[in-house]
Amino acid sequence: MHSIEFDPPKMRRVAVVMLGSMFWGVSLCAAQGIQDAASPDTNRPSTVLTDQLASLAAASLAGTAGQPSWIEERRACEGCPPRSVGRALFQTTVVNVFYGLANLARGQVTARVTPTTWWRNMEQGWVWDLDDFTVNQIGHPYQGNNYFNTGRANGLSFYESAAVTAFGSATWEYFGETNHASLNDFINTTLGGIALGEMFHRTAWLVRDTRATGRGRMWSEIGALALDPITGVNRFMRGDASRVTDKPADLVPSHLAASASAGVLWRGTEDNAFSADGQPFVEVEAIYGDPDKERSRTPYDAFGMRLRFGGGSGLSEARVRGRLLGQPLKDGALQFSVLQSYDFQKNDAYATGSQSFEATFGFSSTNRFRLLGWAGLTVLGAIDSLPLGLSEPPVEGEGEGGDAGQGVSEGPRYYDYGPGSNFGVTATFSRSNRPLVVLFYEGRHLYSLDGVRANHFLQRTRVDLLLPLRGAFGVGVTGEYFDRRTFYQDAAATRAGHHYPQVLAYLTWRVS
Amino acid sequence: MSLSIRAWARGLCLLALAPTLAFAQAAPQAPPSEPAGGPSRMWFAVGGALATMRGDCQTCEEDFPYRHSGALLVNAGYRANHRMDVGAEVFWMPVETAEGTIRATHFDAVAQFRPWASQGFFLKGGAGMAFVRNWVDVLGSDSFNEKALSVVIGAGWVFRPTARLGLQLFAAQHALALGDLQTSQGQIPDVVGNRWSIGAAVVIR
Repeated sequence: MHSIEFDPPKMRRVAVVMLGSMFWGVSLCAAQGIQDAASPDTNRPSTVLTDQLASLAAASLAGTAGQPSWIEERRACEGCPPRSVGRALFQTTVVNVFYGLANLARGQVTARVTPTTWWRNMEQGWVWDLDDFTVNQIGHPYQGNNYFNTGRANGLSFYESAAVTAFGSATWEYFGETNHASLNDFINTTLGGIALGEMFHRTAWLVRDTRATGRGRMWSEIGALALDPITGVNRFMRGDASRVTDKPADLVPSHLAASASAGVLWRGTEDNAFSADGQPFVEVEAIYGDPDKERSRTPYDAFGMRLRFGGGSGLSEARVRGRLLGQPLKDGALQFSVLQSYDFQKNDAYATGSQSFEATFGFSSTNRFRLLGWAGLTVLGAIDSLPLGLSEPPVEGEGEGGDAGQGVSEGPRYYDYGPGSNFGVTATFSRSNRPLVVLFYEGRHLYSLDGVRANHFLQRTRVDLLLPLRGAFGVGVTGEYFDRRTFYQDAAATRAGHHYPQVLAYLTWRVS
Repeated sequence: MSLSIRAWARGLCLLALAPTLAFAQAAPQAPPSEPAGGPSRMWFAVGGALATMRGDCQTCEEDFPYRHSGALLVNAGYRANHRMDVGAEVFWMPVETAEGTIRATHFDAVAQFRPWASQGFFLKGGAGMAFVRNWVDVLGSDSFNEKALSVVIGAGWVFRPTARLGLQLFAAQHALALGDLQTSQGQIPDVVGNRWSIGAAVVIR
């Protein structure tokens, strides 16, 4: 096989033609998108309830006079948004332009994009970036959640919106910044955006009261807009924010439980068991749907989420686990599920984050005991890490920010990226549907592909003891132990280990 | 394989015209028809591509060359619905250079999605693993073998998207994150390879 040599100008023409044809294809389809939307999608995965009924109704009524106006508007149900792929892709581009202008307004040189920078990024291809941990592990997933919800706000399904997220993420990486397209950003924005996006979308639909009118209705729509701005803005622009309808049936959970906790956290290290000063925190947990029962109807019809504010940083933990598939086994005694997970933890002792997929087996008995085990693959994980010979990261800003300009990260970056695997088990003992004792263990392996060359093995154990007091209120104590072992791939095969015990005491308020 | 610039240009003109051709075909295609003899949920595609590859390292000053060659693409999976196919992809690209051969094989889980059911335009994305056998800059005659994280994105146009036999034109980018690249002089850290390809594949359902 012989290689073919090209002149750079010819390559440039090749790429321009490729790119042009792709955008042309998108625009032609967008122009025609309206034509295919009206036909009911009989091969679509089962979404049951009103979506299916709506499709059947649409099929039977198509072409007849006097059909409900929502069918003519290409809505899958009366309370659903009208379907438009073209509008979803257009709004994704608007989101990119919005973020670009915001960066420009902040004076970031990375926002000064031109066709030359677009071409340079296409010539270079994917690279790893050197941005801050929080920007990459929270900022990009949040941005991806906006792309995802341009799809959901325009009537697209979960998986269709996932493709829109990848489109928004890739176009941002190549055309939204002067930085070279970042592989870790693409993965975090796409997978994190899907997880956060569906979580926010469904949570916003919980807040929205679509049967209400007047001021109460307006505030419920504004509250939902704060959680899911893209859907909120679309609803206000279309006038859906004041229409009285039922909620889409697949966005009404079969079960809902949530708790809020506020208290103090004490964290120690291997050298110093616990520091005297506690750190205040607020933690919010929610279980949407019933992850232990029934066959799944749509992705994320059951999910769990946990957010912890304070306790070592502004947002010290974010965790979303959404069910993609669920199937009861052995007459419901066992439950098999496939989950998508998004994890973020950052405090003054350690920082980790990951995008992963897991297979779980759950067992529950008489609503008192629940056991869940899982194993899966981490597509991309991040863990704070120091090169050998360095015991402390330099003070922030030291050795950084040369003359490249605001917004340009020049490194060094003190965390590693890589794929890996994860596994874990959790057991819950409850009484009257209120958990009293929760045991949790998770192990995660990361093979570093970018950063310090090492294998990282992370373990986290957590025990929650919860005591109901009066009504929805209770008190709780949590013991947590985080252990990390790093196996450096140097000639001496150096090993390093750190562990961080922590204790939390808090008041809880639980609703279900 | 020896290809002239003229052949490339012809291929690219065809690719550039693809949306127009499909646009012209779109009207009679509007209600998606199932393959004769009942719908098949299988999705199989095999084709070839012209590809350009470049490896780069984050901390290297050196400007690494672009290398061009042919590539083979195979997709196998099933149709999740009439807009989406999911399955596995194998992308194999061998490159002969003056210094030796580099063979990269990507094994990815992919989803191929047509936003508009009546149109052929599709987006593709996926991730998996890549295996590289590298005879450039090695010690002795054996290759250095590497594993990598693989990510693929792409777009294209499929003709006759719901028929049993179809054709797709595609443009794709495969990335492989190697970590360290082993050479005779030692390891080069943080290497990412990129492969850009345009090609065509026969689709069987």
